[in-house]
Amino acid sequence: MIQGQRADIIIRHEGAKTVLEPHGDWTVATIGALDDAMRRIEQTADPAKLVVDLTHLGRIDTSGAYLLGRGLRAASNPDADTHFQGEHATARRLMREVARRLGGPQAAAKPAPRSDVVAVFARIGAGLEEVWLETIDTFGFLGRTLTTLGRSIVQPWRFRLTPTVHVMEHAGVNALPIIAVLSFFIGAVVAYMGANLLETFGAAVFTVELVGISVLREFGVLITAILLAGRSDSAFTASIGSMKMQQEVDAMRVLGLDPFEVLVIPRVIACVIMAPLLTFAAMIAGLFGGMIVAWSTLDISPAFFIARMNETLDWSHFWVGLSKAPVFGLVIAVIGCRQGLKVKGDVESLGLRTTASVVQAIFAVIVIDALFAMMYLELDI
Amino acid sequence: MSGDVLIEVRGLVTRFGDHVVHDGLNLEVMRGEILGVVGGSGSGKSVLLNTIIGLKQPDGGEILFEGRRLSEMDREERHALETRWGVTFQYGALFSSLTVRENVSAPLREHVSMSPKLMREIADLKIALAGLGVEARDKFPSELSGGMKKRAALARALALDPDILFLDEPTAGLDPIAAGVVDNTIKELRETLGLTVFLVTHDLDSLHAICDRVAVIADKRIAAVAPIPELLKHSHPWIQEYFKGPRGRAALGG
Repeated sequence: MIQGQRADIIIRHEGAKTVLEPHGDWTVATIGALDDAMRRIEQTADPAKLVVDLTHLGRIDTSGAYLLGRGLRAASNPDADTHFQGEHATARRLMREVARRLGGPQAAAKPAPRSDVVAVFARIGAGLEEVWLETIDTFGFLGRTLTTLGRSIVQPWRFRLTPTVHVMEHAGVNALPIIAVLSFFIGAVVAYMGANLLETFGAAVFTVELVGISVLREFGVLITAILLAGRSDSAFTASIGSMKMQQEVDAMRVLGLDPFEVLVIPRVIACVIMAPLLTFAAMIAGLFGGMIVAWSTLDISPAFFIARMNETLDWSHFWVGLSKAPVFGLVIAVIGCRQGLKVKGDVESLGLRTTASVVQAIFAVIVIDALFAMMYLELDI
Repeated sequence: MSGDVLIEVRGLVTRFGDHVVHDGLNLEVMRGEILGVVGGSGSGKSVLLNTIIGLKQPDGGEILFEGRRLSEMDREERHALETRWGVTFQYGALFSSLTVRENVSAPLREHVSMSPKLMREIADLKIALAGLGVEARDKFPSELSGGMKKRAALARALALDPDILFLDEPTAGLDPIAAGVVDNTIKELRETLGLTVFLVTHDLDSLHAICDRVAVIADKRIAAVAPIPELLKHSHPWIQEYFKGPRGRAALGG
């Protein structure tokens, strides 16, 4: 693109003919202002009577040739000598080339979109259908994962230890510090709020039960699951998704490797094993946080805190919390892997799938936690 | 073809860690010529292209554009320069979130003031110039075949009617007919617009069909720059093997 002389157009009427006299440089940088003028001419003048006078034309490029020749292209023979006056080194050749490449009439416009109200309902409907289909598909994926898992148990040599351990380290061990710190703070906050409230009843000592039950039953495992969803689930989707984009997954299939066996099973097993271990760490950290706050604000010594926990808290709280962890691990890994395998060839779908993966994983964790709560309530545990 | 130098590469050194790719490479690109650049895989053809267009800083040496050092230009001069060249990359490098038409309009939107309607029409023209059909305009890059991506990338490179085209393997992965169309388009554009074309390629047919001169990268520098008939007489073993090997002979014999 070269900035050049300003482009201009002068229109003369010579008898029946309309003569277009372009001046200056007609290049992509200069023609923007001439579009309207050209359109007016095209609407009023008869294409058969258009003549282009090239005498005063400066430089011209394909964009300029397009605009200058646009009206002529409606004529029966746009390249006829009767349509031109004067000489120019490249203009006619460019205009001929442009007309040739553009070929026949341009494609029709797209159908108009539907009216707003209908469109809103259509989007809601499409969204609901999407949720339903995603749910079915997720269960299908879970089933396929479980059958593959079953085969790995029957044929243990098919199981891939190294990638599993690798995922255990990245998704599990490396998440330990952040999970422990977060649980510590959650435990501390629960103790703090409980202490404030219970002290007004003179029942401050129940802070121990409050911290113990909430951390063991719910917070330990939920913090772990949510962090796994945010941290590892997105990583699963992104890494499997980029493999999908590079056709690595297709290459596996062609080589007779089952992507489920190679990609999904190691991640699922790693998550199922690491989730309870991380939950245990989260529980310890949460109790420790509660204990520190109880000690500093209520003068409940750590020794008393532990003794009271032993006395009043049933082990069932601990087992309830821990029992949920492998289920969450399974769900998170399955959702992450499924979304990863759903990635298509473009970057945008990778982003969409990663978002969907984290949202679905956290949603699933909280819904399943509610189901567990109802189940244990009915069972009186 | 006039004889003045448009781009001059002087004593270029490129390193990746300990690995030296170019060591004192010199090259002149003349105004109005189609210069083919060939070399073995890993000899640094694409790196040379990226260095000239400023995507990679040279580790030594200078790039001169119309006699002015690229490294001494200020932001505005660079910006003006960038609107004068069109580049296609080896893998297309289309914006994946935009349709083909939006991809081609992107440089127009950025650098030129014109009505959206005219912009659309110009974009459609460039798409047609690059040899893409009408049906491709509203597609996203992920829906295109490899050859269509190459042509969409060429259309985007042509958007601003550049003076200089840098093409990185524009015909690789295309069928011979489509490659011929691209070759013709390049040649046609050069002749009508006086373009200068810097063409990195492995396509022997392209080299024979459209290149005025061919530069051979070997031993970390330009081993020879000459029209093909002269290159055939060159004694460098790699050049001999490249052009006199079975594929080279086939393309030459035609």
